[in-house]
Amino acid sequence: MTEEASAVAQEGVSSVEKTHDIPSDWSPNILAFACHYCAFAAADLSGVMRLSYPTNVKIIRLPCTGKLDHIYILRAFEKGIDGVFAAG
Amino acid sequence: MIVGKQKPFEVIWDMIKEYKKVLIFGCNTCVAICHEGGNKEAEILASMLRMKAKQEGLEMEIKNRGIERQCEHEFFDSANEQIEWADAVLSIACGAGVQFTAEKWPKKIILPGLNTTFIGVVERPGLFAERCLMCGDCILHLTGGLCPIARCSKSLLNGPCGGSSKGKCEISKEVDCVWDMIVRKKMEQGRLEDLLRITPAKDWQTSRDGGPRKSVKEGLVE
Repeated sequence: MTEEASAVAQEGVSSVEKTHDIPSDWSPNILAFACHYCAFAAADLSGVMRLSYPTNVKIIRLPCTGKLDHIYILRAFEKGIDGVFAAG
Repeated sequence: MIVGKQKPFEVIWDMIKEYKKVLIFGCNTCVAICHEGGNKEAEILASMLRMKAKQEGLEMEIKNRGIERQCEHEFFDSANEQIEWADAVLSIACGAGVQFTAEKWPKKIILPGLNTTFIGVVERPGLFAERCLMCGDCILHLTGGLCPIARCSKSLLNGPCGGSSKGKCEISKEVDCVWDMIVRKKMEQGRLEDLLRITPAKDWQTSRDGGPRKSVKEGLVE
């Protein structure tokens, strides 16, 4: 075990993330998980009202946010999503 | 059930980072109940490790797979292909599962992803507590169904000791004094006189003091 890993093990904290400099023109890819019965209905209504939202947000409809599993979020991050938004 | 706790992420990473093809291998019975070593946890851990490998700039393939039990031959068939594929298998089963996998695949690197902690119960969701020390000679009939071997800090057979205070053990206010519980239960059952009988010193040969144990079921074993 490396010294760093053993220090982390003792503290019980994992340091998965490494810090990076953020380019000025960067915008995050956001994935929104929305409940069919509330948040998605609200998003739908905003569409009917001709309201717009940024193109870097993509919405996935769930039957309920209770359906949101750990692995959905991790898969999103693995595929390059920068932030996940759960609404329900 | 057997309760386990996943090793810290950095410790797991340190174990697997030298291998190119790693299989995160879940065991979907006991350690799935405590949400530490099941097939779902294997999938989550594999995903996190893939991201870690990417951040570290290492060319690694990390897959996940799980079977119902890593302590029985029958269940391994469905995972043979993936185990064969891997350079190293990180088993997140209990110590028995890890060793059984290692016995079945003697040429493979089999690594432990969990610390096996105890045999316990689900007191409430997310809270697991020890109940049995596997001493091999059950005395629960004498103690009202509460085990002083596993739950008394000193494994006393004739308690409580002087360290019992207001129903708690002297080692911590978080730890119930099981002998206090036993006495109260016997009082409720109107069987307090049961405790007048002194239980003699325990023969620990049925426990680990007798060395590694085996159990044979006559009529079933070939």
